Amino acid sequence: MGEQRRPDRREGPAGLRRLLEEDPADLYENAPCGYFSALPDGQVVKANRTFCEWTGRPLGELLGVRFQELLSIGGRVFYETHLAPLLRMQGMVREAALDVVRADGSLLPCLLNAVEVRDADGAPLLVRATAFEATSRRRYERALLAAQRAAAESEVRARTLQEVVSEVSAATSARDVAEVIVRRSREAVRASGAALWLATERRGTARPEPSVPPIQLVAADGIPSDLLEAMESAALGGAELVRDGGVHVVPLGAGLRAVWPGLAAAMADTGQEALVVVPVDADSRHLGALVLLLGVVGDSGLIDLTPPGERGTLARADADLLATVGRQAGQALERVRLHEETVRHAERSAFLLDAARLMASAGDVGQTAERLAELAVPRLGDVCVVDLTGEHGTSRHAARHGDPARQPLLDELGDRNLSHLAASHPAVQAVELGRTVWIRQVTDDWLAEITADARHLEVGRALELVDMVCVPLVADGRILGVLTLGSDRRRGPLTAADVEVAEQLALQLSQVVEKGQRLELETRTSHTLQANLLPPAPPPVAGLAAAVRYLPASRGADVGGDFYDVVPLPGDQVALAVGDVVGHDVTAAAVMGQLRSVYRALLADRPPPSAVIDRLQAGWSLLSLQRMATALFATLDPGSGRLRVASAGHLAPLLVTRGGAELLDVRPSRMLGAPPAPGPAVEWAGVLSRGATLVLYTDGLVESRDADLDRGLTALLDVAARSGTADPDELCDRLLAELAGGVRADDVALLAITRRP
Amino acid sequence: MSVIARNRVRVRGVADGRPMVFAHGFGCAQEMWRLVAPAFAVDHRVVLFDHVGSGRSDLSAYDPGKYGSLDGYAADVVEICRELALDDVVFVGHSVSAMIGVLAAARAPGLFGALVMVGPSPRYVDDDGYTGGFSREDVAALLESLDSNHVGWSAAMAPVVMGSPDRPELTAELTDSFCRTDPDVARQFARVTFLSDNRADLPGVRVPTLVLQCRADAIAPEVVGRYVHAQVAGSVFTLLTATGHCPHLSAPEETTAAIRDFLG
Repeated sequence: MGEQRRPDRREGPAGLRRLLEEDPADLYENAPCGYFSALPDGQVVKANRTFCEWTGRPLGELLGVRFQELLSIGGRVFYETHLAPLLRMQGMVREAALDVVRADGSLLPCLLNAVEVRDADGAPLLVRATAFEATSRRRYERALLAAQRAAAESEVRARTLQEVVSEVSAATSARDVAEVIVRRSREAVRASGAALWLATERRGTARPEPSVPPIQLVAADGIPSDLLEAMESAALGGAELVRDGGVHVVPLGAGLRAVWPGLAAAMADTGQEALVVVPVDADSRHLGALVLLLGVVGDSGLIDLTPPGERGTLARADADLLATVGRQAGQALERVRLHEETVRHAERSAFLLDAARLMASAGDVGQTAERLAELAVPRLGDVCVVDLTGEHGTSRHAARHGDPARQPLLDELGDRNLSHLAASHPAVQAVELGRTVWIRQVTDDWLAEITADARHLEVGRALELVDMVCVPLVADGRILGVLTLGSDRRRGPLTAADVEVAEQLALQLSQVVEKGQRLELETRTSHTLQANLLPPAPPPVAGLAAAVRYLPASRGADVGGDFYDVVPLPGDQVALAVGDVVGHDVTAAAVMGQLRSVYRALLADRPPPSAVIDRLQAGWSLLSLQRMATALFATLDPGSGRLRVASAGHLAPLLVTRGGAELLDVRPSRMLGAPPAPGPAVEWAGVLSRGATLVLYTDGLVESRDADLDRGLTALLDVAARSGTADPDELCDRLLAELAGGVRADDVALLAITRRP
Repeated sequence: MSVIARNRVRVRGVADGRPMVFAHGFGCAQEMWRLVAPAFAVDHRVVLFDHVGSGRSDLSAYDPGKYGSLDGYAADVVEICRELALDDVVFVGHSVSAMIGVLAAARAPGLFGALVMVGPSPRYVDDDGYTGGFSREDVAALLESLDSNHVGWSAAMAPVVMGSPDRPELTAELTDSFCRTDPDVARQFARVTFLSDNRADLPGVRVPTLVLQCRADAIAPEVVGRYVHAQVAGSVFTLLTATGHCPHLSAPEETTAAIRDFLG
């Protein structure tokens, strides 16, 4: 390098000058850019050698050809829509990017500058243009453009994902989630249609699983109904459509035609070329599938440039995007399901609490069943029926429909109770098997099988039940009845949780029914016993008119040990008694019965009332009576009116006369069964005047939960004084009406005896 | 946003003259008509406007949903005519605007008194039994190559889109701004232009129609112009001596004369 001379230093000015003395023609022909001139319509009239060489076309071939015809298709359109108008309007164009087609068909990327040469009036004469080769620049621009597009597409995917995430997070139902997923995924991959199916959960059945896989269409977009039906039946007929893992592109080809000819035909009819199946999963649990259709996009309105046969492809990045959307969908659905379950759980808890309250305040069994059925619809199901088994077979106690318009249908079924039903009826089966029978997807054939007659079937169809569950009511191994719950088409199938609630409800109801039936039995037994222990009516006694009343306590199971007795004794006398054995049960009634028998036996000796008390007290331990009792004993001589009364801890008798009413001042001795008193019982003796009435009664008449004894006695005297009647029956009615009231905590025994005037 | 400002509507000519609405095609803007419109302003009420997204229309009004089909543009045309209370309108549409005119006339029957279609094409892409002049591959390639002219533009367009009145040097540099468009808008307008199919709308045209056809039109070849003429009952077909796709620029006198002949 150091040895070399640098000629430009010394020769420079002269050499440079020589170099610059260029031949203009050479400069034009061999310039480092293409030159050409054209008429205003584009006809090339002159071009330099550079341009000819670059384009690979001899000058002769170029002349007369319109420049725009040398351009690629895009260049031609750009020339017409931009370049020519700009030249005309502003006289020049700079850096237009055009591709000139070389003679060999290859493209020469150019940047074109052009000016329009005009005459004095501004009319165009000529266009002069220079073309610079821009291969590298264009390559760079293409790369830039490709990168920009890739970035834009990636941004669109990222945005799609963001939108999916944000929109599903606001969704509160599976349907909302599915609609977002379907719409967004369809947009993202420019699919012609999309739909989402979910597997429906089915567990614990008493019938074999239905042969069709349980899936449900939740949302669809852009799919004609015929095609959607074909997709659904294909999905129903082949579970792998929704159960297969990974994103699958299933082209409309021989494979699809062989397996699902109906679907393939429907796809071909609507110009679809492929199905894309995207699994919807949450934590590796398969929830369903998103299915997209690739093919003719029907609703954009623009011509699809992708040639037919090439529309069924999915870019790798799009497949990845769909896989992610599928996972997002799964998570969102899981979240919504948990949310819905929580809400439903709260509703069920509230329902069971209400049911528990209802049963705690239950009256008789029939009423409870009725109110429970009312509570169950429409909260738990659409239909609730309670059949109870009693001594006389099974009878329907309640049948409620949530829709008042359909209640008459159930009412019509009322007489078709268990004893009339077919052996295959789920209620009958539940009773026989002693366990829950859950019928899912009620079919018409099945309805025909379980119904008793044509009308029964008709009503069954009109109810439109899709699911039914029958739960036996069981206590101590005894079947008490059956609870039936049904849901109709509008509500959809029952869930396992619904069935669980029905079972809990049945358990609660069983306890109420069992308790109720036991109480009813006890009550009936006690009252039958008591009725038999009491004398039916006092015998007629000359000179006297007697009336008796016995009212059991209001609470069904309570039985009193109250009694009364009127016995004509040998001679003229009549023995009277009223007593009250402690307690309100069968034992009290039994003690009362015994006490009355012993009392009657004592009467054979015609003892005075005080002696009756003394003898009973003395013999009490021998009688082995388990309860104490109060009692009032009296003897009355109808002829003279002579009256003797003795009390064993009992309330004083009432004397009603024309002038008023008073309590006889009978000094009570100790209760029967209490440790004996140190002295004998004290007797009250007097005369019952003609027309006067003696009233013996038990504390049920004057005592109540909310009023003390004194107030009760005052009221008794008041009512008796105002009665102004000498008819014992009338007096009894008056006293009971005004004192006993509608609700009694205790039994009432009442004995009124009037000495005829 | 007023329709007038949105579409940069400009009204010229005789106030009580018959209204003529000139609509530019894909590529440039209302300036395209500057050699023709003045000739009609002497006895017509001349209305010029830019389609939204083109020229100096209000870019903020560009809604990709609305302008995803020619219907959006047709709705604007009807709106402009109503805003100006026009009646018996002569609609002169170049290129894609010829079809926008067809759609506008269908939208507002009675509003238009005549259609002048300059270089119309109801469908650019060839189809079974139909020649549009472009194969699918052609259109795909042209949409692709139009993009490459937008690469350089995007950077230059930015200040215009944002508006830079304090930098007058930009104005000089951007003298051809009326043929520039936001690249995204241009891309969609190109797609809507070249991918629409309005053949089925032609038989519905009920107003007197002139089809102006150039020779050697690379965009709308003669066979397409004749197709339009055949589909629009009673239409007049005039084959100009002018070449190319823009006779209103390359042969304004001939174009003006042909339109005047038609309008009588």
